[in-house]
Amino acid sequence: MIFVENISKTFKLYRRPSDRLKEIVLRSCFHKEFQAVSDVSFEVREGETLGIVGENGAGKSTILKLLTGILIPDTGTVHIAGKITGLLELGTGFNAEFSGIDNIIHNATYLGLSRREIDERLDKIIAFTELNEFIKEPIKTYSSGMVMRLAFSVAIHADPKAFVVDEALSVGDAYFQQKCIKKIKGFKENGGSIVFVSHDMNAVKLLCDQAVLLEQGRLVDKADPETIINQYNFLIARKSRGDEIRYRNEEPSSGYGNRKVMIDHVSLVDENDTVSEIFISGRPFKIVVRLFGRESVENLTLGILIRDKFGQDIYGTNSYHLKKRISIKKEETIIITYAFKEFNIGPGKYSITAAIHTCSTHIDECYHWIDKGAVFEVVCGGGHVFNGLVRLTPNLYMKNGSASFLPTPGISSENDSTA
Amino acid sequence: MSTLNASFIIEITKRDFAERFAGSVLGSLWAIIWPVVNLFIYIVIFGKIMGARLPGTSEINAYGIYLAAGLIPWTAFSSTISRCASAFIDKKHIITKVNTSLPSLMIHINLSESITYFISMLVFFVILAFQGHEFHRELMLLPFLYYLQQLLAMSLGLFAAVLNVFIRDVREITGVILQLWFWFTPIVYVFDILPGVVRRLMAYNPACIIIQSYQRIFVFDDYPPFHALIQLTVITHVLLFFSFVLFRHLEKDIRDFL
Repeated sequence: MIFVENISKTFKLYRRPSDRLKEIVLRSCFHKEFQAVSDVSFEVREGETLGIVGENGAGKSTILKLLTGILIPDTGTVHIAGKITGLLELGTGFNAEFSGIDNIIHNATYLGLSRREIDERLDKIIAFTELNEFIKEPIKTYSSGMVMRLAFSVAIHADPKAFVVDEALSVGDAYFQQKCIKKIKGFKENGGSIVFVSHDMNAVKLLCDQAVLLEQGRLVDKADPETIINQYNFLIARKSRGDEIRYRNEEPSSGYGNRKVMIDHVSLVDENDTVSEIFISGRPFKIVVRLFGRESVENLTLGILIRDKFGQDIYGTNSYHLKKRISIKKEETIIITYAFKEFNIGPGKYSITAAIHTCSTHIDECYHWIDKGAVFEVVCGGGHVFNGLVRLTPNLYMKNGSASFLPTPGISSENDSTA
Repeated sequence: MSTLNASFIIEITKRDFAERFAGSVLGSLWAIIWPVVNLFIYIVIFGKIMGARLPGTSEINAYGIYLAAGLIPWTAFSSTISRCASAFIDKKHIITKVNTSLPSLMIHINLSESITYFISMLVFFVILAFQGHEFHRELMLLPFLYYLQQLLAMSLGLFAAVLNVFIRDVREITGVILQLWFWFTPIVYVFDILPGVVRRLMAYNPACIIIQSYQRIFVFDDYPPFHALIQLTVITHVLLFFSFVLFRHLEKDIRDFL
């Protein structure tokens, strides 16, 4: 159980640390103030996971540090029934010269375990790391993934009543991650409270029972994860609106082509006609492209291509294939919208490539081609949870007996008798 | 805020020694080799070979013993102060990541220096026994003397540690002060060679009072200056209290600044 009441934390920004002493002696002000957290209250009951969502600098990490006691709040109280451990302190005090076992013991001490408790758990911790004979080697011989495995194993076995997770779930390979998530879920079922901070909206949706939204140190809202994530998206969208340069090109080049017609702007719009960067799988989605004609062009083709973070093509088409004739006059601006009723691609990060050319491909004459005209993220929606690139919507049936299109069922006991 | 935790202090002290000798073949044996070498230098090189004599004693080893009796406690005293002074900065990577009780860090330094002191004293006693030195009952006062000197070291160290967070020069200043302090204390020379003015000033040098007590006990078979010691005991406790109040007052800032 974590109980936080009206905590505030102001950082005083001094030009030099010694100014703090000057201030005490001279009794005058030498600092600027920065309010990192202001008047935040929440509680996390046993077996509950609270997600903290917010932009960079919203005060998430400060709250975690206040929870674990690394920082002391200016006002307000933090009450925690039992011990609190954080995954943000993974591997504190690791020394590369010492063996895995020595580092387990040392790290566990920092996490507040007594020697007796460590001895009791040592075997379990070592088993969880799956480092086998490596556990006796100095950790300078480990790969970074192995070090993280060691660190995570200690943290998760420190047996806290409350747990603070800071984007740290991405330790090790997929197998170990699954193992960690299972362990965290088990911890939750045994009545542990978890505070989870992440920019990974899918993880928040998957793991948390409740979420809070932070903006500039203030707690804006507390609700179920989905509501909060939508609000967060709205917050980001509101912020990016009015931002003239929306191209997030890694290279400053604005694409290529002869630019008789130019792609002036690419924006992504959700069902409420708000520009956003985060969309929910299965919900309406629009790609809006603004074109500017520097010369009059008859019959041009506008193509779009959605690529995932690895640059793989996910979906692409153009106005030629969709049988829409587009023409533009000199000095004219036109807006073309690709509207998707259900945007059925899986969670992940994507980018939009847009191109204008003649006929079906850009090979003959390309007017303008832009990579990463817009970037966006897709998160799982309120519907069923799924994995993978595509959101399919199967129906599930069950019935007894057989179906005409199936071969006669084989009897498994026959196999047993032949064995 | 975490409270003092004995298991934590013991573990980081152990680690302290382990880290110092990490990767070496002889390992923590070095913790014994060093005091042996040092005492060999004090007693054999200074005392016997250089043939320095100590006025007022008949023993030919007296100067060596005098040196050892002063240097062993001084080493513990001064390294405690200098290590405490930089403790918060040195352990920054831990303080900013886990909830560490800051006073525990001070105490672990004390414990670790005490172990070195204890080993040195043990070796010293063995050497004394070999030389047929007579042990007197004044030696019973050693634990008290040690308690007093370390408490003083810790209160000064804590004070310096707090300041060091805000003014990083404090660590260097502490080093300089300790160096000067060493030569202003009759450790390698005897009290009596000092000019009268300085001798009167020595009454205000707490290290002098403590070191003199050791020297009297080991070399001169005499009782320490009780009156001065009692005064010092009171002052030390007041000082520690003051340092601790200052630390508590600034703890929030210390954690913010690290």
